[in-house]
Amino acid sequence: MRVFWLLFVVLALPVSAISQQIFTLSGIVGDNDKQPLPAASVLVSPGNYGTVTDKNGKFIIGKLQPGDYTIQVIYLGYKKYSCQLNLKNNVTLEITLEPELLTLNEITITDNYADQRKREESVSVEVVNNEYLKQNLGGSLMKSLDRLPGVSTIDIGSGQSKPVIRGLGFNRVVVTENGIKHEGQQWGADHGLEVDQFASDRIVVIKGPSSLMYGSDGIGGVIELKQLEIPVKNSFGGSVDLIGKTNNNFAGFSAMFYNRWEKLYFTGRVTLLDFADYRVPTDSVEIYSYEAPLYENRMRNTAGDEIDLHFTAGYVNNGFSTKLFLSNVYNKSGFFANAHGLEPRRVDTNFHDKSDRDVQYPYQTVNHFKAINKTEWRTEQMQFLADVGFQWNFRQELSQYVSHGYMPAVFPDSLPYPSDLELEFDKYILSANLKTELQASEKALISLGSQTEYQNNKTGGRGFIIPSFTQFTSGGFVHVKYNSSENSILQAGLRHDFGMIETEAYSDWFPSPVETEPDTGWAYLQRAPALTRRFSSFTGSVGYSFNSEHFSAKANLGKSFRMPIAKELAANGVNYHHFSYEVGNPDLSPEIAFQFDGGLEIYSPRFAAGVTPFVNYFANYIYLNPTSEHDRLYGNGNQVFYYTQSRVFRWGGEIHSHCEFTENWQLGLITDYVYSVQLSGEKKGFTLPFSPPATVLFNLKYARKKVGVLTNPHFSVDYRITAKQNNIVPPEEKTPGSAIFNLAFGAGIPLKSQVVSVAVQVQNLFNTKYFNHTSYYRLINVPEPGRNLVVNVNIPFSVK
Amino acid sequence: MENMKTIKKGLFISVFGKKAWMTVFLVFLFAVFNACNNQETDDEKPEIDLTIADAFPVNCDTLYFGEDFSFQALLKDNVELGSYSIDIHNNFDHHSHSSEVTECELWPKKVPVNPFVFINDYDIPQGSREYKTSQKITIPAGNGNGAFDEGDYHFYISLTDKEGWSIQKGLSIKILKRR
Repeated sequence: MRVFWLLFVVLALPVSAISQQIFTLSGIVGDNDKQPLPAASVLVSPGNYGTVTDKNGKFIIGKLQPGDYTIQVIYLGYKKYSCQLNLKNNVTLEITLEPELLTLNEITITDNYADQRKREESVSVEVVNNEYLKQNLGGSLMKSLDRLPGVSTIDIGSGQSKPVIRGLGFNRVVVTENGIKHEGQQWGADHGLEVDQFASDRIVVIKGPSSLMYGSDGIGGVIELKQLEIPVKNSFGGSVDLIGKTNNNFAGFSAMFYNRWEKLYFTGRVTLLDFADYRVPTDSVEIYSYEAPLYENRMRNTAGDEIDLHFTAGYVNNGFSTKLFLSNVYNKSGFFANAHGLEPRRVDTNFHDKSDRDVQYPYQTVNHFKAINKTEWRTEQMQFLADVGFQWNFRQELSQYVSHGYMPAVFPDSLPYPSDLELEFDKYILSANLKTELQASEKALISLGSQTEYQNNKTGGRGFIIPSFTQFTSGGFVHVKYNSSENSILQAGLRHDFGMIETEAYSDWFPSPVETEPDTGWAYLQRAPALTRRFSSFTGSVGYSFNSEHFSAKANLGKSFRMPIAKELAANGVNYHHFSYEVGNPDLSPEIAFQFDGGLEIYSPRFAAGVTPFVNYFANYIYLNPTSEHDRLYGNGNQVFYYTQSRVFRWGGEIHSHCEFTENWQLGLITDYVYSVQLSGEKKGFTLPFSPPATVLFNLKYARKKVGVLTNPHFSVDYRITAKQNNIVPPEEKTPGSAIFNLAFGAGIPLKSQVVSVAVQVQNLFNTKYFNHTSYYRLINVPEPGRNLVVNVNIPFSVK
Repeated sequence: MENMKTIKKGLFISVFGKKAWMTVFLVFLFAVFNACNNQETDDEKPEIDLTIADAFPVNCDTLYFGEDFSFQALLKDNVELGSYSIDIHNNFDHHSHSSEVTECELWPKKVPVNPFVFINDYDIPQGSREYKTSQKITIPAGNGNGAFDEGDYHFYISLTDKEGWSIQKGLSIKILKRR
């Protein structure tokens, strides 16, 4: 026993000796305006202690023994800070960094934000910057992201896609731009997201339910788009991007500029894109048993153009900043001419194939205007943020009038809209987000916030799918982040949401026969009754994350909710893109989902590997169920689909790893998988629509810092294997697997005092014919685009 | 720390309720079990067979105003048939095409004056895997606006099975006055 005690004392002695003599070094890093600099690198030597500042610019390094230390702070765009310190008690530093004159591009390219955000969140997060976007430039912003694990897209044509996170898309994914939720016509598969793909400098993808911070539609995940950080003082500059693509003869131009005096700054951007019909490696496609020949492999009438304008003005002073973003995105694009309307269509090939750049019927135009004000005010203990936004989304689908159902054979001229206006959506949105963060103690950060949105939707045109409606939603949350130890963070949050939707009644503009005794009468049928629904729900989440030098782990459990949308409640019409008839259900209850997210990652300077699994259960997933019924009043006897709810179980995850086996060579692997099954209802045992198949992506990359005059030369090969998808639900088709090679290379070329960067990609190197299960054109057997050479040249300029 | 746990637990239960969490847990177990014992789902489309001897109409056939005809086709499915619909609409602008291999000769394009429209859906006896239709359809000679337009029409058949799989067939036909 004595020996034991002796041993204990001997062992405990050094421990207690050290514990008496260790100190904590903490501080806050900011710029001249007292704006905190999040994710700045803080290095303490000797001992190589390192950390990054949190989003309030704060850092803590604990367990330092007394002695002389050198402290360095590195933040891109700012001069390196260095100081000597003799540590003999706990010290708190206030560090101000001096800006370095660089172009804005250089500033936003890299920092530690990505790493920090990924590690701190208890759900799975991906962060990319504009350099990544240029190296992986796709047909649209969302397409550029689908290389990320767990992210896929639903595409229509070459330039339009919608994001899908772990198999969930449409209204189950929130896209925010500068803090305000982007509101377009998310519910439709036939058009993309109305954002300028060149205007985002940083994109954060949150995989998993995010209703807590983002409200009802965040049930599947969130994509945050962020624009330029504040330019440094007394700077003026800009850049020009030139983009070319061979597959659809795409020509693009995007130019931005910035200017800042002491406290006032502004930035602007103009983007112009023009593209022809895209090409697929096939001579004909089979549309519902009809063979439509393609001229020169072109997808007839899929050309388009886009004009985007942005302007930002801002003011920064002493912890206070406010900025006003104005943007307008306009896009006109054609629909594949053979497959729009009620049935596969015969087209006048001489007329359509004369030019591959013209846009003929059927086509759509979309205009999205945004005005967003973002104001932040920070003090030592508190931070206050307010985002206020106005959006106007205006979309028209135009096609030649074809009478169907009991519509008159010739379009009457007594109607208030022209005969070619098939559908029109006119939408106004007002949003306001308020958030305050309080540093309650050294370890606890409390966030309180609210989000309120009002939208007014008017529908028009000769067709009918959803009625006009107004919608009001409001939610409030409290979130606590607690640094339970130096390496671990506990977070918990609680939210309450209220929502109200009011739809207007809609009646046909033409009479249909109604069976009344003794004979048949004719009446203007009501397609949708007026409807008011109110919803409310409590949601919440708890999470834990642990980070050490070589290892991180995270776990999160959350409950999310989603309000049914107008289409799910009140649709009653022909979907001209799917040759189907869709009927809403006014009695749907809000979707409730429970999800567990996990994450494990190991990393060393040369190697990293991680796995992020999830398990998800929907108590009442809203699902458009194809039935055996046919509609007799409006189409040519189209199949009827009803909105219904079923219990759904999903699981899946992503694995990623990379290894730098020499200084310049890196091998990477990304894989993702989702399994979904309906546990109840008429489609019990079936999966969900648009279920992405498993993918594995191998990447081999060669990169150097400098070769001759070239900076950052790099070369990379992606080999992407997509599994077959046999787990389908009507009316989908089974999709065979595919294997595709993509090449990318590029470098910076010094030109006077600037560096011109060139990024080249060859997508689908071998012009392989393959199908994408989640493409909107999959149902009509349209393969994915053929070989595509993409060139992006970025020319910066600045005045010092 | 102990305190924090209690708070957390309280928060859990107050947000979701004890029962909800138990349900979720049980459903997860059940679902995992279910996923591993995946039952086979029907993934085959039904079939419209117009190659049978007395199939009518077939591509390029002619129907007559003021007369009846019998729609004859063999409908098949691997599990159970749902319903079928027939739609007849004018093709005076040549917008439709047939899904058959044979091409029919079309009349010149023209503007409709009083075209004939027919849309109807028909039940199939429950439990059928095969069903031979023999559906009498009447084409009236005209309506209140006078006689119907003669010319090219499109005869569109849509068939579903019980699971909601569907198949379509479009035929080019002519509807004329019997002279």
